[in-house]
Amino acid sequence: MKMLVVFEKKERLRHVGHLDLMRAMQRALRRSGVPIAFSQGFNPHLLVTFAAPLSVGMPGLREVMEVPLSAEISEEEFKEKLRAALPPELPCVAVRAVEDRHPAPMAQLFAAAYRVTVQENAAEILAAIPSLLEKESVMAMKRTKSGDKLTDIRPMIYEMKKVDGQRFDCVLALCEAATCKVELLMDALTAESKLETRPRYLAVRTQLLGKDFTPLELL
Amino acid sequence: MKVFSADRLEKLLDTVLKPSRYTGGEMNAVVKPFDQAEVTFAFCFPDSYEVGMSHLGIKILYDIINRQPWALCERSFMPWPDMADAMRREELPLFSIESRTPLDRFDIVGFTLQYEMSYTNVLEMLDLAGIPLYSRDRQDGPIIMAGGPCAYNPEPLAPFVDVFQIGDGEEMMVEAIACVRKCKKAGLSRLDTLRALAGIEGIYVPAFYQVSYNDDGTLADFYPVDDAAPAIVRKRIVRDLDSAAYPEAFVVPYTEAIHDRIVLEIMRGCTKGCRFCQAGMLYRPVRERSLETLLAQAEKLENATGYEEMSLSSLSSGDYTHLTELVCALTERYADRKISVSLPSMRIDSFVKQSLEEAQKVRKSGLTLAPEAGTQRMRDVINKGVTEEDLIRAVTDAFESGWSTVKLYFMIGLPTETDEDLQGIGNLARDVINAYFTVPRSVRAKGLRVTCSASTFVPKPFTPFQWQGQDELPTIKEKQARLGDILHQVKGVNFNWHEPELSMLEACFARGDRRMADVLYAAWKNGCRMDGWTEFLNYEGWMKAFQDCNVDPAFYANRVRGEKELLPWDFIDAGVTKAFLWREWQKAQRAEVTPDCRKGCQGCGLKRFEGVCVDR
Repeated sequence: MKMLVVFEKKERLRHVGHLDLMRAMQRALRRSGVPIAFSQGFNPHLLVTFAAPLSVGMPGLREVMEVPLSAEISEEEFKEKLRAALPPELPCVAVRAVEDRHPAPMAQLFAAAYRVTVQENAAEILAAIPSLLEKESVMAMKRTKSGDKLTDIRPMIYEMKKVDGQRFDCVLALCEAATCKVELLMDALTAESKLETRPRYLAVRTQLLGKDFTPLELL
Repeated sequence: MKVFSADRLEKLLDTVLKPSRYTGGEMNAVVKPFDQAEVTFAFCFPDSYEVGMSHLGIKILYDIINRQPWALCERSFMPWPDMADAMRREELPLFSIESRTPLDRFDIVGFTLQYEMSYTNVLEMLDLAGIPLYSRDRQDGPIIMAGGPCAYNPEPLAPFVDVFQIGDGEEMMVEAIACVRKCKKAGLSRLDTLRALAGIEGIYVPAFYQVSYNDDGTLADFYPVDDAAPAIVRKRIVRDLDSAAYPEAFVVPYTEAIHDRIVLEIMRGCTKGCRFCQAGMLYRPVRERSLETLLAQAEKLENATGYEEMSLSSLSSGDYTHLTELVCALTERYADRKISVSLPSMRIDSFVKQSLEEAQKVRKSGLTLAPEAGTQRMRDVINKGVTEEDLIRAVTDAFESGWSTVKLYFMIGLPTETDEDLQGIGNLARDVINAYFTVPRSVRAKGLRVTCSASTFVPKPFTPFQWQGQDELPTIKEKQARLGDILHQVKGVNFNWHEPELSMLEACFARGDRRMADVLYAAWKNGCRMDGWTEFLNYEGWMKAFQDCNVDPAFYANRVRGEKELLPWDFIDAGVTKAFLWREWQKAQRAEVTPDCRKGCQGCGLKRFEGVCVDR
């Protein structure tokens, strides 16, 4: 049996890196007393996997991890025990028990939804949204392991709309084949709005999505 | 005045290294409503978050203060230099981790002094908080307190700190904050509050004492000038360690601390009587925690933290009465939860093969041994009651049990040291390697790694070597080079050493008086901070500070002191008497050993404290 766990990483913890977050979760699972499975081998560790690492500096509202179990436990009991073992800044939002052969969340990941608060030059950036969406291609410099690469990010922008005078929501590709970071989108919006430098912003990942834009934890 | 702003902080956090050092939100952090607390205490560790979060004392006192329903304790650490500079640029005051309250809003700002080379960080943190550095310039704002092992010679920090706590803090801390609470309620002035605090046993208020000097620069007199101040400040001792408060939960950091694990303090104090060791003298008498207490603490801490490692802490864990039972019980209980148990600061004469095997049931870590010196004569001088036979037996046992990584700690520059003693370190390293190869190939683990680490001897107050001078810098460098050559001849040994300049500065502060405070201030003004970090040590800044203050470092570091000289810390009663220490110093020079006092009282002076030192 495996448990899909949906948790929130609050803004205060946005600088906690992925490895540190994984360790914090593993420790939380250990102190929770839920029956967790260890890896075999010389240095046994917990077999926890995360759907997608969060960039440093970004909070997440509904992050997903998968926890293989060594014994049966009800969703209610698991949730209650884990909730008690987590700090207030890292609460457990929901859990769902699935069979061992249920595909890993990472493999089902397709896209992610973000809410972006633009902290400087918000009017200019937000005004550039409609014109950017009208374009057939949007070239942006993507940093990859093999160097900078000019990439068309337009196909990776599935949705983008203004929320209020300072914020917009967007859905961007996030899977093995194609990933568009918020940073790239902000670069494109900066260029579109003719600003010199990318303004300060805070992006929150609000939801991880699978096929047909279904929330990952429901697939 | 600097004004705190969360928005400006968030902006800074996006630009500095490891921002999660400053953001808190950890499991088990205590967050109380700031404005409802009657006494607020900012516990400051004058080094980075990673170092401070590894320290046991802060965990104990954080817990004790927060247990009082009327008190609040929050943490603050020395910001990394990039953050410190950014905060200064943005005029953002130093704040506490939990509620992000600027330090100058607390009733008490308390520093723990674990090593002398953190003193510039004390000044840097006060300055970042916008708190005047000198006590005399503070008419209001927080009372600045300090404690920890370096508070046993508080004089180099005397002009900056209002109140020192000397000795075990568990009881003294509660009395101190209760006193501040009472004074606050009664609306007492700052001066009267300090007077009230000076009445608590173990507390030293430097402003209430006067110092005069002889023509040769030595101390002439040291005396109280306020009726509230005792002539002799007696250290505090927790009589019953087993019932003393111990945290049931540790704050679990996100970013990895240096020591990131459960720590069980099995015992406080040490009876071995190594003559260079300040902790061995300061933390007397020996007090043990019971097996039942420790197992209960382990269980609570494991459930509260989820740590995957547990370590036993004391000055000499091998001497703990129930060591084997404890290690067996812990490894048995926690094996299925994959928790490893490690034994640090193991003394080689008390090595138990069985506990070695127990310890590595789950995970295997390196073996660390501290022979301290290379020859038997030298070990007799320092009263390290360990023979070469003990050492070789211990490492052979370890190699037979499948260990292959050994670290050996030595000191150079010890009193009476000769070239033969340096040569002895090489011989010992060679014998350890030979011991590995005597173990059959089928039994021993592959990949032998032997590391020899040589630190420079620093004479410390309240040790028999407190009168001895440190080797001069060129001599230390010569000896390091010589030892490097010797160990180069021994195949398969790694050699590392400490910065000798750092050891020299440490020696100046360890036995410094109030005039070292001027040097400290000048060095800080020259930009010195984070001196304990090789990459930040600014030796030129320090040398310029000595020059500008017209202070000769050799007066403090290298000078041999006489029996009759008034030492800057003589007004503190640390338990061990000056007569005992002098006797030990004389015996050291004759290479005479003093047996462990568990085998018979050696008259160190602790018997004067009623009921604390019990013959076994």
